[in-house]
Amino acid sequence: MNDAAQEQVPGIGPLAGVRVIELASERTQYCAKLLADMGADVIAVEPPGGSPARRIGPFVNDVPDLNRSLHFWYYNTSKRGVTADLAHADGRALWARLVAGADAVLEAVAPGSLDAGGSGYSAFAERQPALVWAAITPFGQTGPYRDFAMTDLTSMAMGGPMASCGYDDLPGSPPIRPEAFHSLHMGAVYAACGVMIALLDRLTSGLGQYIDASIHEACAATTEGSFPNWEYFRRVVQRQTGRHAAAAITPRWQFRCADGHDINMIGGGIPRNPRSWRPLLDWMERLGRVEDLRSPEYDGVMMENPYSRGPASAHIAAVIGRFVESITAEEAYRGGQALHMPWGPVRSPDENLDDPHWHDRGFFVEVEHPELGRSYTYPGLPYLFHGTPGRVRSRAPLLGEHTYEIYVQELGMTPAELRPLFESGAI
Amino acid sequence: MGDKRLPLTGVRVVDFSWIVAGPQATRILADFGADVIRVEYAGRVDSIRIGLISPGTPPGSLNASGFFSNLNRNKRSITLNLNDPRGLLAIRRLLGVSDIVIENFSAGVMEAKGLSYEAMAAVNPGIIYLSLSGFGHSGRDRDNITWGPTAQAVSGLTYMSGLPEQPSAGWGYSYLDHTAGYYAALAALFALYHRTFSGQGQYIDISQIETGMILAGPAILDRTVNGRPYRRTGNPPGNRSSYPEIAPHNTYPCRGEDRWLTIVAENEQEWAALVAVMGEPAWAKTPEFSTNNARLAHQDELDALIGAWTRDFDPHELMLLLQSKGVPAGVVQTIEDRMEHDPQLAQRGFYPTASHAELGEHRFEGVPFQMSRSGWRVEQGAPLLGEHNQTVLGDLLGFTEDEMLELTMEASAV
Repeated sequence: MNDAAQEQVPGIGPLAGVRVIELASERTQYCAKLLADMGADVIAVEPPGGSPARRIGPFVNDVPDLNRSLHFWYYNTSKRGVTADLAHADGRALWARLVAGADAVLEAVAPGSLDAGGSGYSAFAERQPALVWAAITPFGQTGPYRDFAMTDLTSMAMGGPMASCGYDDLPGSPPIRPEAFHSLHMGAVYAACGVMIALLDRLTSGLGQYIDASIHEACAATTEGSFPNWEYFRRVVQRQTGRHAAAAITPRWQFRCADGHDINMIGGGIPRNPRSWRPLLDWMERLGRVEDLRSPEYDGVMMENPYSRGPASAHIAAVIGRFVESITAEEAYRGGQALHMPWGPVRSPDENLDDPHWHDRGFFVEVEHPELGRSYTYPGLPYLFHGTPGRVRSRAPLLGEHTYEIYVQELGMTPAELRPLFESGAI
Repeated sequence: MGDKRLPLTGVRVVDFSWIVAGPQATRILADFGADVIRVEYAGRVDSIRIGLISPGTPPGSLNASGFFSNLNRNKRSITLNLNDPRGLLAIRRLLGVSDIVIENFSAGVMEAKGLSYEAMAAVNPGIIYLSLSGFGHSGRDRDNITWGPTAQAVSGLTYMSGLPEQPSAGWGYSYLDHTAGYYAALAALFALYHRTFSGQGQYIDISQIETGMILAGPAILDRTVNGRPYRRTGNPPGNRSSYPEIAPHNTYPCRGEDRWLTIVAENEQEWAALVAVMGEPAWAKTPEFSTNNARLAHQDELDALIGAWTRDFDPHELMLLLQSKGVPAGVVQTIEDRMEHDPQLAQRGFYPTASHAELGEHRFEGVPFQMSRSGWRVEQGAPLLGEHNQTVLGDLLGFTEDEMLELTMEASAV
C-alpha cells in the first residue's frame, strides 16, 4: 500500500491513496473508471498506438482521431495515461516498474499470454505478496472455451441475456442484443467488486491475490427469471416485446403514444391500488377517452379487488392503451405518476438531459477539456456518497499524456533515458 | 468455494430490502461471508417469496419460491414490526452490532419510522446506510414509483434494445434490478474500505435509473458533444454494430426451432477465416463483399447470404467450427443450454448445489469470479420466514424468551 492510503485525502473519494495499474483495453477500462472516479490513482498503460478502445466511435465532430473517441472519453475518466509496448523488452521493464508501485493491476489479455512474456501475475506474486491482480476475460482463465474469440454480441448471446430479449409479435425476428457493451459492463462491475473484496481482505491479512473474472459468468448471473423457471419448473422462458420473457405469453406493457414514443405500463396500465382507479377514470374522461370503464362490470371489480379482476383486465388494458394513444409519452408518464402508478416513458438515454430532476440531483457533471478549450456534460456516478463522494476528476488522458509526469517525475527516469525508448517504439 | 476463507466474515448487514435489487446487492455480500439479516414483516412479505411457487410445496407456504431462494441464499431472516416501538428497539440494538443497512423503501418511509441516517449514526457512527430507489432520495421526482422495467424505460436502456424502425424490444427481465444491486454492493465495499481508515460510516443514495444512464455514456456524450440525439433513423441498430462499424455482425438462423448463432468478423483476417469455413463461396470474393466498407454498404445481402449458409447447421457445432478458425461466434443460448449443455459453466462450477428446508436440493447461480486466496459460498438456500428469530434476537441481541415472543407475535399479526 502507498503511504498516502494511511491518511485519506479529503475531497478525493473513498479510494484515495490506492494505486491501480491498468493494461488498457475495452474490457478493463470500465472497471478501472469505477475505481478512478472513487478516488483511486489509476494509470492506464496503453500500447504506443493507443488502446483499441480509442478507435471506437462516435468521435468528436465525426473526425476519427485517437484523442476524439467519445467511447474512450467516457470509459477513461479520472485516469492518467502512459504508453508501454509489452511486446518490447524495454516496454516490459517499464511495466514491471509501474506494477512495483501498484496496489492493484487490471488486465484483460488472452489467458496465459502475459505470463508467457514474463509480465503476468506469476512474475510479481512472490516479490509483491500484497498485490491484487484482476484479469477480466470472456470466459475466465480455465475451461474449454477460454481461448474463444469473443465480442460483446457473442458474449451477450452465450451468457444468456439475448435469449430473453426480442419480439413476440414480429414473426421470424431474432433475439436482440441491447446495444452498449453490456457484457463488458457486467464483467467490469463484478471485477470491481472482486478488487474491493481483495483490498478489504488485504487490510487484515496483508496479502493480495489473483482474481479471475469471467464475462460469460457475469452475463449468466444476470438473467433473473430464466434461472428459476428452468431449475424449478424445467420451463424455457420466451422473449416478448417490451416486457419480461415468460414461460407463457403475457399481456402487453408497452404502448405507443400520440408523439410516436412509447410508454411502459406494467400490468397494461391497470392500477394495482384501487385509490388510483377513479382518478384515472377522471383523467381519461377529461380527454374523452373513458369509454365504458365506469360501468359496474369494470368499476365494480376494480374497486373491490384489482388483483382478482379476471376477464375484465383485457378490456380495461385495451381502453387504457387507446387512451394513451391520444397523449404524448411524457404526458402519460407525468399523469400516471401523479396518480401513483409506475408508468415510465421509453426515453432515449440523452433525453434525460432535458429532465430537471437529474439536475436537481447533480447527476450530470461538467468535465473540462482544456485541449479543446471548453467543457462537456457527462453522466456522473451511479452512487451519491454523502460522506466521501467520488467524482469525475478529469477527462480521459490523451495518448501518452502523463509520460513525463509518471516516468520522469514519479519513477525518476531522466529524459535522456526515455529518448531511446521512444525512438525504438517501446513507449 | 472449498476451504478458502470467506473474506467478508465478520461484516453484518441489516437488510430491509425486497423484490430483486436490494436482495441482489446483499446476495453478493452474503456469498462472500457477510452475515446478512433480512428484517421481514409477516404482514407484508417480500412478494418474491410468493413468486414462482415451486410445484409440490405446501399450499400457502411463504418459503416455496426457488426465485427467492436463489436471490437470498446464505442469509438469515427475522420478523419484526417496525410500526411497533418494540420492533424499533430491536432494530436499534441490531444496528449497534452491524456495519451496513440497506433498504429500498419509498423516499421518506425510513425517516417516518425514526430510522433516518442521522438517527442510525447516533446509535452507531460507523454504520453505512444504503438507500436504493428508482429516482433517488433527492430531486423533484423522488416520490415517483418505479419497477425495474419502469426504470429501464426512463433510463434509455429499453430504447437502445430493438430493431430499427420497430417498437423497442427492451430487456426481457429487470436488468436494472440486478444492476442497481451490483452498484449497491460495490458502494458498500467502497464505504467499508473508507471506514477502515476513518471509522466513519455514511449515507449512500442510489437511483436505479442513474445506474442505467451510466451504462449509456457514449450515447449521452454524442448528444452533449456532437448535438446528435440517439433517437434517430437507424437506431437502435438491432444486432448490427454502429460502433465500431463492422460487418458481418449479426444473428443467423440455425437448424432447429428458433435457434440462432451470432457471428462477427472484426477485421479482414477474421473475414477471410469465415469465408474459408463457408467453403470459399464465389459471392464472398465479389467487390460487394471484399472490404469492410463494401460489406457495410451491402449488409442486407451479406446477412441473407450468411443466413442461407448457417440454417442447415446445428448452432453449437457451427460455433465450435468457426471458433476453431478464430472467428468470433456465439450461440444464443437458452437457459437449458447454459445449465445442461455448457461445458464451460460446468467445468467452472458455476451452478453449485445447496439445500433448502422446503425446496430440497437445488442448483444456484454462482459468482462470476474466482479468487486465489478467498472463497465464496452457496451453503444453503434462502431462510424460512423468521427462521432466525431465536439466534438473532435471542443469542445475538440478548432478548429474553418472553420479550422475543412479544416481538415476533406482533410481527406475525397482520
